[in-house]
Amino acid sequence: MKHILKFIYILLISVLLISCDKNNEAPTIDPLDGYTKLKEGYALGASAKVEIWGKKNFFMGYNNLVVVLYDSLNLKEKITDAHIHFMPLMTMGMGAMAMQHTCPIENPDETDTNDVFPGAVAFVMPTTADGTWKLGIAVHNHKYDKEGEANFDITVDNPETSVLTVFTALAPDNNKLVLSILEPSKPKVGINDIEFTLHRKASMMDWPADDSYTIEITPEMPSMGHGSPNNVNPVSSGNGHYKGKVNFTMTGEWKINVLVKKDGNLISKDLYFNITL
Amino acid sequence: MRKNFVIVWLVVLPILSMAQIADSSKIWPTVITLQEVKVSADLPLNNSDVVDFYRTNHFATLDNINARLDGMALIKRGAYALEPQLNGFSGGQLNVTIDGMRMFGACTDKMDPITSYIEPSNLKSIAINQGTNGSINGCNIGGSVDLCLMEPNQKSLNPYASSLGFGYESVSKSKNVLFSIASIKNKWAWGFDAVYRKNENYRSGDDQIIPFSQFQKANLHAVVKYTPDDIQNYKLDLLYDDARNVGYPALPMDVGIARASLMAFEYQLNNKNQLKAKIYYNTIHHVMDDSKRDSLYILDSNTDGKSDSVYMRMDMPGKSSTLGAYVQFVLPWNERNRLLVKADNYTHNSLAEMTMHMRYPGSALVPSMYMQTWPQMLRNVSGIFLQNTTFVSQKLQIMMNGRLDYNMDILQSQYGQEQFSVFNYSLSKKQSKLVKSLNLSVQYYLLKSLSMVTTMGYSERMPTIGERLGFYLYNAYDGYDYIGNPYIKPEKSNYFRLAFQFSRPKIKTNFSQSFSYLRNYIMGVTDTQIPAMNFYANGIRVYQNIPSAKLYSTDLQVLFNPINSLSFYLNSKFTMGELGSGEPMPLIPPLNTVFAAQYQKGKFMLQAECENSLAQNRINLNYGERQTPSYTIFNFKSGYTFKLFKYALDASLGVTNILNKAYYAHLDWGRIYRPGRSLEMFLKYSF
Repeated sequence: MKHILKFIYILLISVLLISCDKNNEAPTIDPLDGYTKLKEGYALGASAKVEIWGKKNFFMGYNNLVVVLYDSLNLKEKITDAHIHFMPLMTMGMGAMAMQHTCPIENPDETDTNDVFPGAVAFVMPTTADGTWKLGIAVHNHKYDKEGEANFDITVDNPETSVLTVFTALAPDNNKLVLSILEPSKPKVGINDIEFTLHRKASMMDWPADDSYTIEITPEMPSMGHGSPNNVNPVSSGNGHYKGKVNFTMTGEWKINVLVKKDGNLISKDLYFNITL
Repeated sequence: MRKNFVIVWLVVLPILSMAQIADSSKIWPTVITLQEVKVSADLPLNNSDVVDFYRTNHFATLDNINARLDGMALIKRGAYALEPQLNGFSGGQLNVTIDGMRMFGACTDKMDPITSYIEPSNLKSIAINQGTNGSINGCNIGGSVDLCLMEPNQKSLNPYASSLGFGYESVSKSKNVLFSIASIKNKWAWGFDAVYRKNENYRSGDDQIIPFSQFQKANLHAVVKYTPDDIQNYKLDLLYDDARNVGYPALPMDVGIARASLMAFEYQLNNKNQLKAKIYYNTIHHVMDDSKRDSLYILDSNTDGKSDSVYMRMDMPGKSSTLGAYVQFVLPWNERNRLLVKADNYTHNSLAEMTMHMRYPGSALVPSMYMQTWPQMLRNVSGIFLQNTTFVSQKLQIMMNGRLDYNMDILQSQYGQEQFSVFNYSLSKKQSKLVKSLNLSVQYYLLKSLSMVTTMGYSERMPTIGERLGFYLYNAYDGYDYIGNPYIKPEKSNYFRLAFQFSRPKIKTNFSQSFSYLRNYIMGVTDTQIPAMNFYANGIRVYQNIPSAKLYSTDLQVLFNPINSLSFYLNSKFTMGELGSGEPMPLIPPLNTVFAAQYQKGKFMLQAECENSLAQNRINLNYGERQTPSYTIFNFKSGYTFKLFKYALDASLGVTNILNKAYYAHLDWGRIYRPGRSLEMFLKYSF
């Protein structure tokens, strides 16, 4: 009996090890895994075809967007050396009353990552009846040293659960700030990475990242009236990103209360994000 | 609280004599002197009077019998499924087995000790070993309780015996039906017994109906035995127990269904080696149910401070199964020495889950909340036990035993691993540990009728799954949620016992003292860093090793037969426990004494019993204990055996708690009054 059980264990463990090995031999990474193509068009003057890939349609919040460039003269060839600039633009109202603004962006690096250009745009509001978004992609094709722009009319959805909030900092800061939650994108019971971005509205057309704030989090399960232990407050990792750890003890609806501070002073009020596991 | 005196003899006496040595009847003279009692505990038997009484007592639940045993107390959460406690030890500190088979309850809240899946009608006897000495079936520190399943007796004169019985108790409108049948033919013997019980909410001594004290259950047991020749036999046992709608007034939940099944196959070779081999499998499915409870809670909202009411339901199913085998044999390696060897292995698989569904009035159900209160785990234990008995002289016998258990815990649930990352644990999938036990026991005859038994021992025990990986297990006693400690160390005990046994034809006495010095005592310690999970929980307690704790117990039993038809029995037990900090250990019963007198002449029996418990003032406030007042209750029982168509009809009439006293014992959770005065009627027809 013992021997049989031991044998079974050894067998099981070896099967596990073997299967682990296989997983470790993961082949080439598909940079577009999990992404779908949202838009495609030509950047006139840059000899480039532009494709925009996202995890889902554009939404109010921090959108991870991947730009894929093809040589418009030879559509089978990807352009891997280019300078890409996101130019989102919201137009509100009509005619003379129209008002325009952009939103926080993270332009891709000049060098490609696995042949594509990942970046991000944090749309600060959804498309509405009197507000429309356009997304411009400026491309500097280093291959031919040509510049051009592709423009897309896009619809920005309003997600069921808010992942971005625009708020005005309390005095003395008084800045208008954009706080987005990036992670956990796939929340699970146990320890999770939590990541925020914080951008400041310098002007209608300039929303730079800001690393000068501090963020504190308190997860809470409102229906149970409890939180979770051993959370790690996010700290700035540069470029407006703040990374920490959040713990969920069970599935269900969690609320992550967020405090934003500047020089030790609390400048936010009633900020939170809901996460359902 | 029904009791009968004879059952106490039947069960206690063999244990008295066998308390130290379970299997050495040839060597220990006390066993020989009491042999007739031990034999008469075998059923069905030659002595019909004893059979009748024993069976009458099958109306009692196993809990009622346990309450009368040496050193045993019961932790009570409801009218059913009381948890045995032996000299202050309970749960994972004790080793409760069925014919040496391991079986584990599937409830994270200890609502189903395995004694709840066994009925007295399933049993032949109960063997108790005190302290570290009870390690034959597994390392433990508190002792062992082995429940021996009933089997048809080939030596019986009556080849065919069956009975049908009905019982009624007024206090809970309890209806009981018992049936048993056994047949022996040539080399084959088989037996079958069935019990059905249905109790409604009982009435306490202050004439209140105690809600959620109902239960109903059915139990079936079948056994087939094949004896090809004089020295060999094969036995197959099948047991099925199904309890439904079991109320637990002291807990926030009841049990919808608790179902156990057990299969065992045994081979015995009764030559000088007394070989016994067994393979078994058992499984338990346990589902808690709060659908009949008022589940409206008032919640203070964190954000706006306003009170809000919510409705909550919890699904809490638990599963537990055990597959195991053992082989044991005796090596009489010389005239004075006998070595018992036992090797065993079992694999226990358990999983308990909790899903909470919550609704605020007027709004939709919030997303359900799920957790694994016992993440799926497989525990495999391989053990070897050796016991050598040396017969030095007529006056002196020495027994030594030791056990090694290799314990392997394999966490099978990724979810469980992730759950525990919340507490900054990175759990390894596998954890193994070696636990051991070593004991020395000496019996010395000071006089022909007076012997002294001294036992010294050391033992360790593995933490239970709940103590290692329990995840927010609510304890209704202290109101805290308990969290396991994956790297908790085994509990250790140094044990010393001194017992005097005095045996004369008319009087038999056992007086014992035992002392345990515990290290790495496992106990929940409040952790203020972890927020409480629930709005009704007081906070979080994490299982920790307390450096030291002490337990002291003393027991006295006297059986006195001044004349043949009259007998008196006294059983007095006292336990004291103290944590290293000097605080009293929680859940320790005060001095409890049962005194019974029985008159039996021919077919007529009369019995009076008095149970007294002193107040418990040594309490652990930190655990939420409060003082418990003393109580004394009186019970009365009578019986008469009629002849009906040449078969026996037993009629029994009794009153328990004659004075209708409103009382509870210290180990009763929730300080809920026990049943008040109750009239009991039993009828059993044997044919």
